[in-house]
Amino acid sequence: MKTRIAELRKAKKISQEELALAVGVTRQTITSIEVEKYVASLPLAYKIARYFDLPIEEVFDFSQIDD
Amino acid sequence: MEQFRKKLKTRIYLLLALSLLTALLGVYDVFFAPETLKNMKVFEFQMGATIAICILSLLIVFKYSNTLNDDNKLKLEYNKENDERTKAIKTKAGIPILPILSILMIISGIIAGYFNITVFYTLIIAAMCQVLISGMIKLIYMKRM
Repeated sequence: MKTRIAELRKAKKISQEELALAVGVTRQTITSIEVEKYVASLPLAYKIARYFDLPIEEVFDFSQIDD
Repeated sequence: MEQFRKKLKTRIYLLLALSLLTALLGVYDVFFAPETLKNMKVFEFQMGATIAICILSLLIVFKYSNTLNDDNKLKLEYNKENDERTKAIKTKAGIPILPILSILMIISGIIAGYFNITVFYTLIIAAMCQVLISGMIKLIYMKRM
């Protein structure tokens, strides 16, 4: 799943490590989400979106999900 | 976080008890075990396993003690243990069921080995294969996810 995490992170000037620490996961998980290898669970997606003060759909791209 | 701190302290006590037990068993093996036992292959394996468990337990105790003294390390350890991706990978690799089964097979193998050496080899090899396969699956999913 495509996300805007890397872009938002760079805009906020924070590292993957800092984001990972804030949302309660490892740095590797943030990397995997950014490179679209791993799809975050709903609670994690919510935590990440809340961290950036944005709605989930503005951080994660749901357009490719089948109905 | 306080609950996790308590959990780590409990683990430290349990690991210390395990290392003490294995150390006592090691002392018995070296100084008090009868010569008939010492000549068996199973005995050498059991002694090696006992020493390895003792050293590993002490190393983990040392690691946990360091973690408890540093809040940042504690948070990192907490995140590592509760990380959803790691949990998913572990589930796919059959952790913790496979390692628990392997440990039980090794213990049974050591006990059975004093009566029949073939059973010992069979159980140890099967346990090792289980651990190896689990480790390989874990590595594959760590790359994929």
